[in-house]
Amino acid sequence: MSDNNPYIPMPVQIAKITNEVDTNDIKTFRFTFLNKEDEEKFKYTPGQFGELSIYGKGESPIGIASSPTELGYVEFTVQRAGTIVPGLVTAALHDLDEGAQIGLRGPLGNSWPIEFLENKNIVVVGGGFAFTTLRSLINYMLYKDNRKRFGEITVVYGARNPGLLLYKDELAEWEKRDDIKTIITVDKGNETWKGREGFVPAVCKDTAPSPKDAVAVICGPPIMIKFTLPVFFELGFSKENILTSLEMRMKCGIGKCGRCNVGSQYVCKDGPVFSLAELDQLPRDF
Amino acid sequence: MLKKTAIEKISQLAAVLMEKGTLLAPVKEVAGHNFAEINDPQKVDLNFYNTIISPKGAFFPPKEDFIKYKIGKTITEAEQIKVDSKPVFLFGVRPCDVKSFSIMDIHFNAAGIIDPYWSQRRKATTIFGYAYDLNQPVDAADFYNSLGIYAADPEGSDIFMVKKDKDLLLKGITPKGEELLAQLNTLVDAGKDDEKYYEETLKKGKEYKTRFLCIDQDVIAKKLEAVFNNNDFWTKVSSACLSCGACTFVCPNCYCFDICDDTIFGKGTRRRVWDACMFTDFTLEASGHNPRTQVYQRLRQKINHKYSYHVKKYGVISCVGCGRCTRSCPVNIDIYSIVEEALKL
Amino acid sequence: MTDFKKIEENLKKEAKRLLESGEVTVVLAYGKGFDEKHPMPFAAKSVADVDNIVFNEYCNYNMARYLVRYPQGTKIAIAVKAADSRAVIQLIQEEKIKKENLVLLGIPVIGMKNPKTDEVIDSKTTCGMHNPVLYDVLLGEEVHGQKIVSPYDVLAEYEAMDKDARWQFWKDQFDKCIRCYACRKACPMCYCDPCFIDQNKPKWADKAPQSPGNIMYHLTRFHHLAGRCIDCGECSRACPVDIPLYLFHKKVAKECEEMFNQVSGMSIEDKPVLVNFRVEDSDKILE
Repeated sequence: MSDNNPYIPMPVQIAKITNEVDTNDIKTFRFTFLNKEDEEKFKYTPGQFGELSIYGKGESPIGIASSPTELGYVEFTVQRAGTIVPGLVTAALHDLDEGAQIGLRGPLGNSWPIEFLENKNIVVVGGGFAFTTLRSLINYMLYKDNRKRFGEITVVYGARNPGLLLYKDELAEWEKRDDIKTIITVDKGNETWKGREGFVPAVCKDTAPSPKDAVAVICGPPIMIKFTLPVFFELGFSKENILTSLEMRMKCGIGKCGRCNVGSQYVCKDGPVFSLAELDQLPRDF
Repeated sequence: MLKKTAIEKISQLAAVLMEKGTLLAPVKEVAGHNFAEINDPQKVDLNFYNTIISPKGAFFPPKEDFIKYKIGKTITEAEQIKVDSKPVFLFGVRPCDVKSFSIMDIHFNAAGIIDPYWSQRRKATTIFGYAYDLNQPVDAADFYNSLGIYAADPEGSDIFMVKKDKDLLLKGITPKGEELLAQLNTLVDAGKDDEKYYEETLKKGKEYKTRFLCIDQDVIAKKLEAVFNNNDFWTKVSSACLSCGACTFVCPNCYCFDICDDTIFGKGTRRRVWDACMFTDFTLEASGHNPRTQVYQRLRQKINHKYSYHVKKYGVISCVGCGRCTRSCPVNIDIYSIVEEALKL
Repeated sequence: MTDFKKIEENLKKEAKRLLESGEVTVVLAYGKGFDEKHPMPFAAKSVADVDNIVFNEYCNYNMARYLVRYPQGTKIAIAVKAADSRAVIQLIQEEKIKKENLVLLGIPVIGMKNPKTDEVIDSKTTCGMHNPVLYDVLLGEEVHGQKIVSPYDVLAEYEAMDKDARWQFWKDQFDKCIRCYACRKACPMCYCDPCFIDQNKPKWADKAPQSPGNIMYHLTRFHHLAGRCIDCGECSRACPVDIPLYLFHKKVAKECEEMFNQVSGMSIEDKPVLVNFRVEDSDKILE
């Protein structure tokens, strides 16, 4: 960041826009850095986020969807907010074309604890739009030099309907591989859907991953989390071995503006990744 | 080194300081005194109890501009705004407020990423602490004794000032203060009796009693954690709360801010402005979810942040007992009473 | 002079009776603060709470501010001084509350004081009335025989200023504003959710506490209270930097009164003046 001022965004350019869903309100933006030194400084780990910054509109904290093993760019999957609260930044971003320049601050926050995950079996559970930093983690683990550092990888990913699944091409590729077990489900299919139907908690129960040497990484809408957690407790996962990522309203992203605290922890700096055991130590204020 | 000047000649001292840099000092306004940048040395007025708004604005101004830009231009054409590096003299700060700076330092200047604005402003500033006038009655709202602060504590000041009848005594505390004091040629050397008076005032400061509550920071931090879910208690103590931001804006230790883009006629500024956890939309997410929709949740956040979360995170209570929040509250909510009641639970 | 102790006794007695009989579930009155000079707004919800009720010359609060916090249909008793009763009436006119859910405990009073200055609060900063306009129970003796002072007399100095001087006056005043929003939060008529100033689309004004955002906020709020402000002066007393907001409210109220011959919050039969079209209404507003 310029002059090491953490509030000043670095300039990035939209290199590619991918429309992820039928409803056209979730797009993946691929950014390249305008300054080579910014790219070198932007060293991130899956689970971290960045502040997308558009002058005249504001900033939005968004999880990084690409993996650090993908070089030369960084990707963010962004939903156009605004059904309840007008989302100025995400709306403006969705209206931009490839080639446009915006600002980026980051990488921010802690990350999925890679060292802790090493040599363990990883169960990734995602629901709907909250799959972005999980995709980063999966692609990181699947990277050829990294794969042997992790045990079995199981992915359970669900969306309300087939049109709302993110990263469809990648999901298809993962399904072909034999070093990752990929289970895709939708709440309700359509004429062309040949895959599984059912809610994520039920699918997790069917899949019944073993808790032995395993860590569950779970992200999704609150309702999915609520019903998925009991399944994992029943399977024998301890609270230390269930990880999730919190959301709070953020501004600075560096633990200064005092907005995103849950108890003594700033979600932007001490989080967003917490284990359930850590969350138990915090007041229910999120 | 102890120097002195007649209080009626304070404008001469002000004029010298204005030549050397920016002078921030108390000036009289309709409602009371506030710190302001001095353009006219006659305006400096030391005849005050304490300012309405804390002096935190010297380092953390109500608005701090980050970047200026033009709408429609590219991001690389935006202009970063630098903090003026001119020396600043913050004149006439009460001991409790001086203490607040060192507490804010932990957050802005030590923990994790350093805040460049706070840090630069802090470095450029010389602090003239000013003992409370021990002959004036204590304001009923004050409780800085409870936080281990006394009316004539020089700690944290670069230069500490004590009023002696019609004179002002100035003592160099830090090397920075000593050096500056030596340069201020409107001051004269203090005599033996002044030395004695100064020392006695520091001692007598301990006897100048505000409200006192024995607060062990770890005990109160744990207590507040334990009563977090006691909705009856929080609803009761917050029932009068209007959920305005007066308490947080006058507080020397509240540091929450918003980052916003203010635009007009095609020009814009990215800046930070003071924000308050008492505002309804403080935690309103773009999804529409808001973890703190109720007044009691917000007041609970404010008090817990100061007396529990801050202790857990930074090892110190984020309050100096200056009494401003109580004095400024339109409905007389008193944080001291709330802490007192919480301790009884 | 007002017998504050007597009113306090009566207030407690009525509160106890109403809560005991179940006629209301909450009594909005005044409670003990950290010292006598600093009482607080207080909601008594049980007979045990009644002990905490106080009444003295510093109980300025307009408790009508809290009415909209309760779900529609809640049975509420509320202590009302003159201006407070006008706020209740205005809220009834605006259909925010219903009279049948309220018991108004009227407090006729003279000699309320501002705790910051110890000055008596009179027609300079409020409507200057002494007796509640509407009440179900009267807790003291009505005040009569006081010299009637128009609440608009205080405007003389302001009205003597020319346009430029007035603009400069308000600019200077608004420069002091720190945007804590205590004024709107203390105001019984400011119940918009969200307030226009909190909207981000459209964003009506800068968030930074400076011109022109401060001017935008205050002028919009002033005009939004045209014909609605009941001149209780709570906004000005709430302001930590003492901006004399009452001046503008009084000026707008005066013009409204002259134009439409209706004073806000005086009768539950009235309709809010700027919402209601009458053929005989003055066209001056269009000029």
